[in-house]
Amino acid sequence: MTKTTRASNSHGASFRDPSGYIIQEADEIKRVINPIYFPQYNKLTSSGFFDKVIKAGLLIPHQEIENTDEKIIIRPEVIPFITHPYEWSFEMYKHAALHTLKLHRFALANGFILKDASAYNITFHKGKPIFIDTLSFDFYEDDTPWRAFKQFITHFFGPLLLAKYHGVDMLKMMQTHIDGIPVKTIASLLPYRTKFNSILYTNIHLLAKLEDRYSEDYKAESKIAKLSKKAQNNIIESLYDYIKKLKVNEKTEWGDYYNKTNYNDVSFQQKASLIKEWTNALKAKTVIDVGGNDGTIGREIIDTADLILVSDIDANAVDFNYHQIQKNKESNILPFVCDVLQPAPAIGFSNTERSSLIQRLQEFQPDVTMALALIHHITLSGNVPFLKSAEFFARFSENLILEFPTREDSWVQSLLIRKREFINHFDFYNEENFESGYSHYFDIVKKEPIKASERILYVLKRK
Amino acid sequence: MFFLYFDPGLGAMIAQAAIAAVAAVALFSKTVMYKIKSMLGLHKDEEQDSYDNIDLEDNDKDNDKNNTSK
Repeated sequence: MTKTTRASNSHGASFRDPSGYIIQEADEIKRVINPIYFPQYNKLTSSGFFDKVIKAGLLIPHQEIENTDEKIIIRPEVIPFITHPYEWSFEMYKHAALHTLKLHRFALANGFILKDASAYNITFHKGKPIFIDTLSFDFYEDDTPWRAFKQFITHFFGPLLLAKYHGVDMLKMMQTHIDGIPVKTIASLLPYRTKFNSILYTNIHLLAKLEDRYSEDYKAESKIAKLSKKAQNNIIESLYDYIKKLKVNEKTEWGDYYNKTNYNDVSFQQKASLIKEWTNALKAKTVIDVGGNDGTIGREIIDTADLILVSDIDANAVDFNYHQIQKNKESNILPFVCDVLQPAPAIGFSNTERSSLIQRLQEFQPDVTMALALIHHITLSGNVPFLKSAEFFARFSENLILEFPTREDSWVQSLLIRKREFINHFDFYNEENFESGYSHYFDIVKKEPIKASERILYVLKRK
Repeated sequence: MFFLYFDPGLGAMIAQAAIAAVAAVALFSKTVMYKIKSMLGLHKDEEQDSYDNIDLEDNDKDNDKNNTSK
């Protein structure tokens, strides 16, 4: 019996693969496996494959909670916050790609394959990439090429190459191409000289050519070529080598991020200790630091919080943060790229496959939101009125710690001067108007000027 | 049974033969270069990226976590 029943509470991202689907119940995620996938699931379990890849930190752990003739239900470990590929920094993206190849190679050595190589099968959890689609494995059939190869190129290799040659912003193209960037597009965007690189020529340019040639094979008449396991292994290993060495061409300056901001030691120390004190008083276990740069302030509360999300518009700062997480083996900081003026939208079929950042934050319900030295950028660079930014924060924040640089702050001064003849349009930017705008959505709980600076730190509570 | 729920792209299936051949050459020359370099003592540790090796380490011995996939 291969009936595919779907519960009405099945997750919006889970309908393509007939092997099973996900249901979301309160804080729990369950994966229902259909009989069509029983042979694979049973073999993956009994052979010890699942155990091994879970122990190695490649696959999210799960627990079997129901097993009948009609369905098997497993409960995977909960991931508190899912980031999507277009929110990853270059190094994060790279590691997600390497993770996928490593998992596929290990599967292949054990008689299985990864049947798909979607970038959405990976997310970041406890400081590392993790594969989250437990049903993505299938049996290896002798001498068959890797069916997910093209998907790997369009979801991982292509975007990484485009980022290398045209800057990390190219990774955001994944937002408009939910099934990866078409091979033809990748090929056309790469510089001509990449045709002289054997790996790039074959994996991208030749692939694009052949895809084009065979695209009119409507009846699927052409024979599928054979490929030995060894040959497939070579493809994986050479891609792994190549990706591991990939670097972005644009200049990235790691380090000293924090020194560029407007702080001397005294102010920084005071700011840090106030934040520690206040988050403690609020018993903050889950925190999001919006515009949190490289996570310097986030790390001030690393010992008391369970999970600190640190978002920033600057992909290099996010990259540096991720780099530090790897170096210090931190497990409770999750960095991601986010432009507050344009947070990730909901995308995919019916606009429900990948939820928007706001939706995810509303589900995550952070105990505390921090927006430190961000408001002047939102207000003056983004021209967002106080009332509007207050409304934005109120959508997902119970408690808001906000740092307000006054008109006398040098950053604010510089932003204002750049308005030139429109400078008078921004006369509203002051403490009083800020407080009255935010009081529509928040109560001011605390207010403390930061020493030796022109900034004020607030604790706001949603009304 | 091979259940294919998305189109793998016929061109991509065919291209893999050529890609694999080039990959074999690349991997072979990497091994050769590695040997030459280590013979000449030119080998430098260039582990710049923090992601692990492609090989799965057998860390069965340490932490028997509650990985219940049964």
